[in-house]
Amino acid sequence: MVTGVLVIEDDDRIRLSLALALEDEGYLVRTAASAEEGLEAQRAAPADTVLVDLMLPGMNGFDCVREMRRHDDVPIVVVSARDDTHDIVAALEAGADDYLVKPVAVKELSARLRALRRRGRAVSAAAPTLVFGDLEIRPEAGEVRVQGEPVSLTRTEFRLLCELAEHPGLVLSRQQLLQRVWEYEIGDERLVDVHVGRLRQKIERDTRTPQRLVTVRGMGYKLQR
Amino acid sequence: MRRSGLRTRVVGGFAVSALLLSASMAFASYQATRRYLLEGRERASVRAVSFDARILREGVLTDQVDAADLLRSLDTGGNRRAMLYRDGGWFGRAADDGATEAVPMSLQRLVQQGQAGKQLVRVNGVPALVVGVPLTDTAALYEVDQFRELDQTLRTLSWVLTVVAALTAVAGAGLGWYAARYVARPLRQVAGAAQEIAAGDLSTRLDPAVEPDLAQLTTSFNDMVDRLAKRLEQDRRFAADVSHELRSPLQTLAASASVLARRREHLDQRSGLAVGLIVEEVDRFLALVDDLIELAKSDQPAHRAEVDVVAVARRACQARNLAPDLVKAVGDTPHVWLVDGRRIEQIIGNLLDNAARYGGGATAVRVGASDDRWFIEVDDEGPGVSPEDKTMIFDRFVRGRAAGARTDDDGAGLGLALVAQHAAAHGGQAVALDRPGGGARFRVELRKEPS
Repeated sequence: MVTGVLVIEDDDRIRLSLALALEDEGYLVRTAASAEEGLEAQRAAPADTVLVDLMLPGMNGFDCVREMRRHDDVPIVVVSARDDTHDIVAALEAGADDYLVKPVAVKELSARLRALRRRGRAVSAAAPTLVFGDLEIRPEAGEVRVQGEPVSLTRTEFRLLCELAEHPGLVLSRQQLLQRVWEYEIGDERLVDVHVGRLRQKIERDTRTPQRLVTVRGMGYKLQR
Repeated sequence: MRRSGLRTRVVGGFAVSALLLSASMAFASYQATRRYLLEGRERASVRAVSFDARILREGVLTDQVDAADLLRSLDTGGNRRAMLYRDGGWFGRAADDGATEAVPMSLQRLVQQGQAGKQLVRVNGVPALVVGVPLTDTAALYEVDQFRELDQTLRTLSWVLTVVAALTAVAGAGLGWYAARYVARPLRQVAGAAQEIAAGDLSTRLDPAVEPDLAQLTTSFNDMVDRLAKRLEQDRRFAADVSHELRSPLQTLAASASVLARRREHLDQRSGLAVGLIVEEVDRFLALVDDLIELAKSDQPAHRAEVDVVAVARRACQARNLAPDLVKAVGDTPHVWLVDGRRIEQIIGNLLDNAARYGGGATAVRVGASDDRWFIEVDDEGPGVSPEDKTMIFDRFVRGRAAGARTDDDGAGLGLALVAQHAAAHGGQAVALDRPGGGARFRVELRKEPS
C-alpha cells in the first residue's frame, strides 16, 4: 500500500529534496509551499501523514497544525529548524504528533512516518471493551466514550490511552511510552508530557486534579479505575 | 582585604577625633575649674593672713613677748603654718619646723621692701600659697597655706575627666564601626548582586530607591548589567540565527545526499566514490552541527528533574549494541537522581562513543554517589590517556592521538567538551583517569543539589 505524504514547506530546495528522498523511500509525495495551500490540498485529497514546517509565509506552522487538527486526526509531524523548548511544546500542544529538528536524516524521517502509520492500527486483535468508571475504550472500533458520549482522539492520543489502559493501575515510564507509542529507542520525554496533557483535557473532569490519568513522580504515568 | 582596611580606617579616624575632641574639652574645663577654685582659695587664704597680721602687729609693737608664744595665739587650723621673721631670724612654732624653706627669696625681698605679697609654690608635691605681710620695719609674718583638699579635688577631677575622654574615644570608635558598617551595607549588596550575575543570573538588579546617596553607583551598575545582558542576548540570538541558517541548507543536503546514495551502484566508479564521500561528509557535518548547537546551549543552567539514570545508561548501551548489564549501580546507589535527563543521556552516550572510538569499546559503566555528588564512570581497556592529554582532552576539537589516521566514525572532537560542559552545568566536573589494570576511566561528577 502506497502512503500519501503531504509536505508543507516554503523553502523550495528543502521541499524538492525531501520529496525526492521520500519518493525513494516509497511514499507518494505531494507538496505545498504555504499553510493555506497545504490545508486546501488536505481538504481536497487527504494524505495519510503531513509534514509541516513552522516558519511559513502567511499563516504560520502552529496555526496550520491547529487548523488542520480541528476536523482531521491525520498524523502530523513538525519538521522545523527551531529547537527551543517553547516552540516544541507549543507545536505539540497545537496538535502535532511528533517534532523533528532540522536537519533530519531521511532514514530517521522515514522511520518516524512508519511508526505513525502503524499507530493507526488496532492495538490487539480481540481486545474487549476496557472500562475505567465512566470511561469506556473500544480498541477494535477505535472508540472512546466518557459518560456514554463519544470523544474524538487523534491516533497518537488513542494509542497512548490504549497503552495505559492495557496495564490498568501499572506505572509506565515516559521512556516506555515513547518506545511503545512513538517507537523511539531514546526520545524526547516532552512528547509524552504534552500528549498526556492533551489527553487529560478530553477525558478528565478537572485537568488540574486528574482522577484517571495520574502522574507518579519520578516514575511516569498510570491509568487507574 | 580592602574592605576591612576601609573599615579599620573609618573606625580609627572616628576614635582619634573623639579622643582629641574630648581631651581638649576635658583639658579646658579642668583649667577653668582649677583657676576658679584656686582664686577663691587664695582670697580666703589672704584674708586669714591679714587677720593674723593684725593680731601679731599689736603684739610685736606693744610687748617684747616671745615670738613663739605670739604665733601660738594664732588660730591657723591644720593647713596654715605661720612664721615670724624678725631682725634677720626666723621664729616659729615647733609644729611648723622647716616651713621656712618654702618661702621663696623673691617674696622675702618684696616683703623687706615693705610690701605684702603672695606666691604659689609646691610643698611636698602639694600646691601651697605663701603669703608675706610686713609687720614693722624689721618684722614680717609669713604663712604657708597648703591646699590639700583643693589638690585632692583637682586630682579627682582630672581622673574623672581622663576616664570620660577615654570612654568618649571608645564610643567614637564604636560609632565609626557602626558608620562603616552602615556605609558598607549597600556596597555589600552591590558585591552580592555582582556575584549573582557572575553565577549567571542576569535578571539581578539593584534597587536605586534603597540608598539615594548611592544612586549613581546603582544606576551605573544596573546600566552595566543591562548592557551585559543585551550583549549576551545578542550573542545567543546570533548563535541561534547561525544554527538556523545552517540547518535549512543542511536539510536539503541531507535529503539530496540520500537520493544520491540510493543510486550509487548505477553510477560509474569515480562518481560513486565521490558520492560516497559526499554522503559520509554530510553525515559528519550533521553530527558536528548538532554538537555545536548543543555546545552553544550548554552554558544554560541544568533543568533538574527526577531521572532514572540506570535506565538511561542501559538504553544508551542498547542503542549502541552494547549489553545493558554493562551498567552497574555501586552499592545501594538509588537509580533515580535529580539531574537534567537530556544532558545525562548525552554524557553517557558521548563517553560510550568515545570509548568505542579510542578505547576498543566500553567495558564497564558504573553509577554511584559520594557525600554531595553523583558520579558516572565509563571504563575501557584501550591504550588509556597519556598524562599530558588528561586535561586538554576535554577542550573543543581535540581528538584522540590514536586517531592520527581518521576513520569513518571519527567524531568532530566535541563529544568530551560537551561532557565537561554538562558536568559543569550540574556544578560538577569531568576527569580522565587510568583504569587499574590498563585502559582509560572517564569519571563525571555531578553535584546533588543545585549550587
